[in-house]
Amino acid sequence: MNIQFKKGVLELCVLSLLTKRDFYGYELVEYISQHIDISDGTIYPLLRRFRADGYVTTYLQESQEGPPRKYYKIKEDGRQAFKELLEEWEEFTARVNEIIRGDLNE
Amino acid sequence: MNREEFFEQLREGLSGLPESEIADILYDYNEHFEIGSSKGKTQEEIALELGNPQTIAKSYRVNAKITKAEKNPSPSNLIKALLAAMTLGFFNLIFVLGPFLGVIGLLFGLYGISIGFVAGGMGSILSTLAAPFFSGIHIGVHPITSISIGTGLTALGVLLLIGSFYLTKFLYQLTLKYLRWNLDVITK
Repeated sequence: MNIQFKKGVLELCVLSLLTKRDFYGYELVEYISQHIDISDGTIYPLLRRFRADGYVTTYLQESQEGPPRKYYKIKEDGRQAFKELLEEWEEFTARVNEIIRGDLNE
Repeated sequence: MNREEFFEQLREGLSGLPESEIADILYDYNEHFEIGSSKGKTQEEIALELGNPQTIAKSYRVNAKITKAEKNPSPSNLIKALLAAMTLGFFNLIFVLGPFLGVIGLLFGLYGISIGFVAGGMGSILSTLAAPFFSGIHIGVHPITSISIGTGLTALGVLLLIGSFYLTKFLYQLTLKYLRWNLDVITK
């Protein structure tokens, strides 16, 4: 798929996952790159911006293997941003589908 | 590319940012490499999947400049953010500079019109008031007409000026939002 397409929806995908539960960075990267072919390195700058914008907070948690993991937890502002992005996305896809699947009414 | 090379390039690309921020960013990638290796991936695989460290670094630097321009609005911070966005590639020059010049042009035009209206309105009022003192000058319309036209023009100009001021503020925010979006779209 077109890279511009993917980038545009990345924000929505990350926020959407975070509304379901807390994730650490690697998990998010792994999950998303299973579905969308994107450089893993694009997620971390995004997460950092989310934190600067007050969309998420982070906390460290020990794990059985390897170093402590930095978990991302969504905040109210993040939920609000997700809601707005989701509405935009749904309206956009509905309109595109109207064109693609609709009859040509002239 | 192995882990050391990835970190060397990333660190080099991030230079200029506050030391604490660099450490914080590097921590994320360190964690990523650690977890990746514990899942059996080689350093080279992990580095390849992460992408070009120089591009990653640029994306942080531009983001930092945009955030600064958001928190401390000023023309110079805006220009710094724009210049940083342009370093992301030649292609970006067109995407960033084009719309920005368009916006600047629009604002100049609006301020010009507003000031023109105010100047014209004031001129109309003043010349009506001054006309009786200079024999031989006829303004051609009834004084009441020219004064009310003058007042109307001045008021319209002032309104436009206020409107342009709010539009400037709005467009400042919009430019930053655009840069953000542009950054998300361009950096791969």
